[in-house]
Amino acid sequence: MTNKDSSRNKIKTRLFWITIILITWEIMAKSGAFPEAIFPSLLDIARALGDSVVSGEILLQTGFSLVLILEGFLISLLAAILMSSLAVSNKVFNGLVDTLTAIAHPLPGIALLPLIIIWFGTGTLSIIVIIVHSVIWPMILNIMTGFRAISPVYKEAGLNFGLNHFRIIKDIMIPASLPYVLSGMRIGWARAWRALISAEMIFGAVGLKGGLGWYIFKQRVFMDTPGMFAGLFVIVLIGIIVEDYVFAAFEERTVKKWGMI
Amino acid sequence: MGNDLKDEEDNFRDRAVTIRLRSVSKYYQSSQATLRVLDNIDLDIYQGEILAILGPSGCGKTTLLRQIAGFDHRESGSLLMDGQEIVKPEVKRIMIFQDFNQLFPWKTVIQNVVYPLQVNSIGESDAANNEIALQYLKLVELSGFEDSYPHQLSGGMKQKAAMARALTLKPKVLLMDEPFGSLDALTRISLQNLLLKVWRETGVTIVFVTHDIQEAVILSDRIAVMGRGTVGIKKVIPNLLDRPRVVGVAGYAEIYGYVYSLMDINSER
Repeated sequence: MTNKDSSRNKIKTRLFWITIILITWEIMAKSGAFPEAIFPSLLDIARALGDSVVSGEILLQTGFSLVLILEGFLISLLAAILMSSLAVSNKVFNGLVDTLTAIAHPLPGIALLPLIIIWFGTGTLSIIVIIVHSVIWPMILNIMTGFRAISPVYKEAGLNFGLNHFRIIKDIMIPASLPYVLSGMRIGWARAWRALISAEMIFGAVGLKGGLGWYIFKQRVFMDTPGMFAGLFVIVLIGIIVEDYVFAAFEERTVKKWGMI
Repeated sequence: MGNDLKDEEDNFRDRAVTIRLRSVSKYYQSSQATLRVLDNIDLDIYQGEILAILGPSGCGKTTLLRQIAGFDHRESGSLLMDGQEIVKPEVKRIMIFQDFNQLFPWKTVIQNVVYPLQVNSIGESDAANNEIALQYLKLVELSGFEDSYPHQLSGGMKQKAAMARALTLKPKVLLMDEPFGSLDALTRISLQNLLLKVWRETGVTIVFVTHDIQEAVILSDRIAVMGRGTVGIKKVIPNLLDRPRVVGVAGYAEIYGYVYSLMDINSER
């Protein structure tokens, strides 16, 4: 009950401030202080968005970007769970994963772009590589922290019931570290978006498809400022949906329901 | 008094030994010195008894229990259960911890209790396992809370659920590490009574670690008193008070006083 109330309050506060920001925006646009070409009115932005939706272009590019980010994200998640599991099972592997993470984690994906272009070209494979690089290291760091934070009592109870090493990881360590896995997913998702949009801007389109990053970049070439804002709007919208309806809902159904956070 | 007790100990001579410890030692190495936690412990645990291991904090009683469970390595000595060396945790000796958070928080109460059954493929179907789990939840008086998550339960209820989970695999020995130590006094008494009921109905052997003399006297058939430092087990005292027992029953004061005198409580000055 109180939980629902507080989330309703949060939505109210957000709507209030969004309204204020939009009104301020519109006043600025209409005041003529800036040329329309760099500060379009809300109506122009809405029209650009509407046209783009009707023509199907923004949906096509959004779909392209979403498929890539989901693929990259899932690959990273599975690989991170696998590597962390191996790291807690084997001392040698633990050292390797620790070293790799220490080297790769501070390296921004965008810094690797030129190298990735040489190695993998400018296709979707390269974008996936950049997304995986952006997600996997923070994911591993979080999962390992989660594994280390598990109360030894859970593992000992599991051993007592006759669990083998694999089931200790699958049935106990992964669910017990889920709060950490979740925060790793959130960090990973945010990083993946950044990597994706940057890479799309630099790579350009393959045929018609170039993703949302390419869409925004292309509008600049045509000096279509409302179109750029339409692209930004879609990115923000996806961000909010993923945070509030995917991650928050998952959290509500798991770690919150279990009283783990 | 001492002589009487010695005679009474003969009552146990012909009982079957389930677990036998001989010269069990455990050291912790630090950079400066070797800390002897357990030094040449000899102890027999009889089938079906409640053995209390009583001692002050830091006397090594938990370390001893963990040895019996098979969680830790030992430096020397032999530890046999039914003639077989104990080298790892097994389902015939189930440990119940003091920590309220020993149930898996991501499983409901019944899922927690069913889980060991699934792992060991006990029941023929999930329904059969569920049935077994419900029986044990009834035994520990937790019916109606099957679908609660552990965080929704009180500390006492969590310990009850842990008891049910431990019992489903029909272990021969329950190892209990101050399981009621963090409970309020009233809940503790009710859980002690529950434990005695469970003991009567299942016939399980119980090794019960505690630092509470009263708890040891109320529950146990024998009390192994451990001393501070590396004295190990100072004495094993038979406790033949009639059951059901309450504080102040005939003979209670004598045995309480005797145990108290062995605990060197005053030496702390």
